[in-house]
Amino acid sequence: MSLLDEIEAAIPNLRRYAHALLRDRDSADDLVQDCLERALSRRHLWRGDGPVRAWMFRILLNLHRDGLRRSPRRHLVAVDTLPKEPSGPAPQEAHMDLREVQDAIGRLPEDQRRALLLVALEGMRLSEAAAILDIPEGTLVSRLGRARAALRDMTGRTRPATGSKEGRA
Amino acid sequence: MSDTHPIRDEDLIAFRSGALGERAREAMAARIAADPEAQATLAEWDRQDAALAALYGPVAEEPLPEALRARLAAAGTAPRRHPALALAAAVALLAIGAATGWFAALSTQPGPPVLTVAESALKAHVTYVAEVVHPIEVASDQADHLAQWLSKRLGHEIKAPDFGAEGFRLMGGRLLPGDTTPAALFMYEDDTGRRLTLHVLPEGGTQNSAFQFLSSGQTQGFYWHDTGLSYAVIGDLDRDRLRAIAMAAYDQLI
Repeated sequence: MSLLDEIEAAIPNLRRYAHALLRDRDSADDLVQDCLERALSRRHLWRGDGPVRAWMFRILLNLHRDGLRRSPRRHLVAVDTLPKEPSGPAPQEAHMDLREVQDAIGRLPEDQRRALLLVALEGMRLSEAAAILDIPEGTLVSRLGRARAALRDMTGRTRPATGSKEGRA
Repeated sequence: MSDTHPIRDEDLIAFRSGALGERAREAMAARIAADPEAQATLAEWDRQDAALAALYGPVAEEPLPEALRARLAAAGTAPRRHPALALAAAVALLAIGAATGWFAALSTQPGPPVLTVAESALKAHVTYVAEVVHPIEVASDQADHLAQWLSKRLGHEIKAPDFGAEGFRLMGGRLLPGDTTPAALFMYEDDTGRRLTLHVLPEGGTQNSAFQFLSSGQTQGFYWHDTGLSYAVIGDLDRDRLRAIAMAAYDQLI
């Protein structure tokens, strides 16, 4: 496969990730377009060290960080101000409410969202995700732990067994 | 297992994301099997992942948006490696061809050798593509022999490129007469029986040329010149497909 083919092959994954990261089709595709542009303009610098997909994810995340610095319009909502799920039996075995998950992803701190989506949505191994995020694996693991827990809280699910004592009065 | 310390979320994350070696993984699996709370946590994460996949998975299955496809297509035909695809020249030649007919256009050109391959390739294409019984001399099941034989006769190392990605398989090849040295013809066929030919002619000096487009009725082609060999790809195909095939040939023959 040529480099150009590998770049093209990575795009569906990049789009999926960008859509989850931004939750807005237009800005997600703009981000992927910028990523593609940057990758193509730098492909003569590509030395073939490591997977093309990881290289493109790093480009996309750099652009995402740059874009946030330019227009810091997203705001975080503190977890404890979120509406809790209406009282009632916790639907532990049921499918999760997708809209609720979408909202919850949007409320995660940016670094947790980036990390969680690489692993939970893109199915990356810890080593690959840590390399893309340029953080040690241990840092990634604790970040993922916080993201998983926050997601669980925001979707109204409490930790089974011990956790339920804190979560529900 | 109440005597062991509880499984931390960090352990479960490493377990789930392939960060453990085989033995550590087996040991963790055994601990999880005895720990309903850890099982519940993993099941909750599975549901989170399933929700994310349901929300965003379909995006990866969509065809690429037009803007992205256009950018990739432009990069694919960029003049960085290919012989510049000097379409201006090709279009100009096409315009002449349309006005006066292909052979008239040829005869009015001062004779750079690259035009020889175009003219003889077109004649050979028309002659042999229509041939039912003996379109080729050596079939593709003797591909090695074909390449050796034609390389020896042309005095250049040549091989038949693979156009499988374009939907065409090699039928075989033959030797053609030429002005000073013989030329090689490779014939390909798709699964509807449509044929195209690739011509290789050892002449034309050392300079390289852009891709040039040629057409004569339904039959169209691209020809180019690359380090001592002239090439032409001819077929009754639309121009974009022919160009893709010509570029595949160029990439494989470089």
